[in-house]
Amino acid sequence: MQYSFIEPPWRPRKGYLIMAADTTAARSIVKMKVDEDKIKTLSPHLLMAYSGEPGKSLSLKDPRDTVQFAEYVERNIRLYQIRNLYPLRPAAAASWIRRALADSIRSRKPYVVNLLLGGYDTATHEPHLYWVDYLGTMTEVPFAAHGYGAYFALSLLDRYHNPEATLEEGLETLKRCLDEVSKRLVVSPSKYKVKIVDKDGVREIEL
Amino acid sequence: MSIMDQNGGSVIAMVGKECVAIASDLRMGNQALGISSNFQRIFPVTDRIFLGMPGLATDVTTLHERLRFRLNMYTIKEEREIAPETFAHLVSSTLYEHRFGPYFIEPVMAGISKTPTGKYKPFIAATDLIGCLNFAKDFVVAGTASSKLYGVAEGLWEPDLEPEDLFETISQTLMNAVDRDAFSGWGCIVHVITKDKVITRTLKGRMD
Amino acid sequence: MARRYDSRTTIFSPEGRLYQIEYAMEAISHAGTVLGVLAKDGVVLAAEKKVTGKLLDLSSAKEGGYGGSGEKIYLLNSNVIGGVAGLTADANSLVNYARTAAQRHLLAYNEDIPVELLAQRLCDMKQGYTQFGGLRPFGVSLLYAGYDPHYQFQLYHSDPSGNYSGWKATCIGANNGTAQSLLKQEYKDDISVKDAIGLVLRTMSKTMDSTTLSSEKLEFAVLTLDPETKQPRAKIYRPAEIDALLASEGLTKKDDDAEMKTA
Repeated sequence: MQYSFIEPPWRPRKGYLIMAADTTAARSIVKMKVDEDKIKTLSPHLLMAYSGEPGKSLSLKDPRDTVQFAEYVERNIRLYQIRNLYPLRPAAAASWIRRALADSIRSRKPYVVNLLLGGYDTATHEPHLYWVDYLGTMTEVPFAAHGYGAYFALSLLDRYHNPEATLEEGLETLKRCLDEVSKRLVVSPSKYKVKIVDKDGVREIEL
Repeated sequence: MSIMDQNGGSVIAMVGKECVAIASDLRMGNQALGISSNFQRIFPVTDRIFLGMPGLATDVTTLHERLRFRLNMYTIKEEREIAPETFAHLVSSTLYEHRFGPYFIEPVMAGISKTPTGKYKPFIAATDLIGCLNFAKDFVVAGTASSKLYGVAEGLWEPDLEPEDLFETISQTLMNAVDRDAFSGWGCIVHVITKDKVITRTLKGRMD
Repeated sequence: MARRYDSRTTIFSPEGRLYQIEYAMEAISHAGTVLGVLAKDGVVLAAEKKVTGKLLDLSSAKEGGYGGSGEKIYLLNSNVIGGVAGLTADANSLVNYARTAAQRHLLAYNEDIPVELLAQRLCDMKQGYTQFGGLRPFGVSLLYAGYDPHYQFQLYHSDPSGNYSGWKATCIGANNGTAQSLLKQEYKDDISVKDAIGLVLRTMSKTMDSTTLSSEKLEFAVLTLDPETKQPRAKIYRPAEIDALLASEGLTKKDDDAEMKTA
């Protein structure tokens, strides 16, 4: 009677998900902060990286939008877990967050936030990754990126992403992407936070 | 740049002999940057009806979820599956509810209905983004490649095609049209609905 | 004494009781029995129909639809079957509310509603009617037989006060005490659906007034997992299927018919 999305055939099979985000908080051309954590842990097995829409003029977006929205999401996901004792599964959390953005875009003052949602589903023992933009567009993908670095990172991942890669190999590929961004992007960030989610939950690592 | 072209994507539906086909590409992009090569914009509605939604991707998801709500309530209360004609009007009225702030979607639907005499009648329809219905007898197209799809379909379609011939016709039409469109492509999915089964095939396409 | 405190639901009696709710529960204990058993690979629900007779139009139960005669057992969502005991009109309103609540969850989270959450949604509403505005509480108890990936198969019961609880096997309606003690004796942990069906039918045959068990007085449903898709599959039996099931379980009075013929 009810139908959901058709399962993509290429989901990473090694059971982990890596997420990385730079740590600079900038206002216009000025770096205001160099140790900002832009990856929130929404639940024991769910990560959310967030950023603003590049190229949009500041008058269109409140610079606090991203953090405001991230905290709104964080607390609602936490509330669900407190009420129901178990956390939302990654797909359900992603759908809820997407709807929040889709409703927001048609409101008087929309949030301008782009997201990557990565989680490990403890019911099916599979990792999931969702690309979400400020319009509420959502799609499940094997790899994803937002921001100016995305043009370089996606091209490298098209070539080097391997669903069968071990965690070490996965981190090697991530390094290639970050190195390429440092090499080619005019305003390249200096530091990244890297987080992993797998069956044991979320952990942060140093590259 | 129109908001209808933000994510790209195209859908086509064709009528055959006691069968219909509906097909779309699988690309979802952010303007010229491709994001996903596995974006499903055709959804099963019943065992015999499919709905394709080219247009703004956020609205594809939202509208799919909203229609699913109304459809599931219809099915569970009526205790029967919806007829294609009824479903077309459900889609139309849902879109017209948002007449002055529309969902940026131009839905295409395909299905077969059973007539009182026990025969199977193919059904296709499309609407514009505010729900104006177009019941065609041959084919309907929508999406960023619609102008190209019209041209190719006009040349390839003929009446009373059997399921396998209809599959070939719709596949060739879609693949050749999306190759001329920068915002559509990255593989295709085709559903052929016959009176006793649905044949679903994914097609590999150019990845540029 | 009770007279002074039972006309409005929102008022406690000096002994700290809410009489209207107790009366609602009393009404339910005269309603058609609904019985549920949780098995390791499914949940079984059976119910006794009270509205019967040869003039009753049952054509919708025999063909079309999803089975069931629409008196006791309803599909609430693709993963939950509900059995109701009490005022049928109140039940219809609750069933409609449950279906809408399930669809609202699907809309918000793109997943089937977890069974306990659906029970909670209904109980929130039922509780409201015990506290606010001079309204009458719902005269309905429900059994929820459902599946979700968090706790697999589950069986819940909710009453007019808005209380709910999870069960391995339980019964509401007329003779629920008898049925529950029978279930307590016979229930075994990790019982299979097949055995649960037998247990349910045997218990029903002992608690129902009528001597013979047939589709005329019985509604029956099973929730299992589809072996291929691993998705929950709710099956509400049609009259013919119930009679076939009763025959295969040896619970129809075939002997009587045979005697009649020879006589």
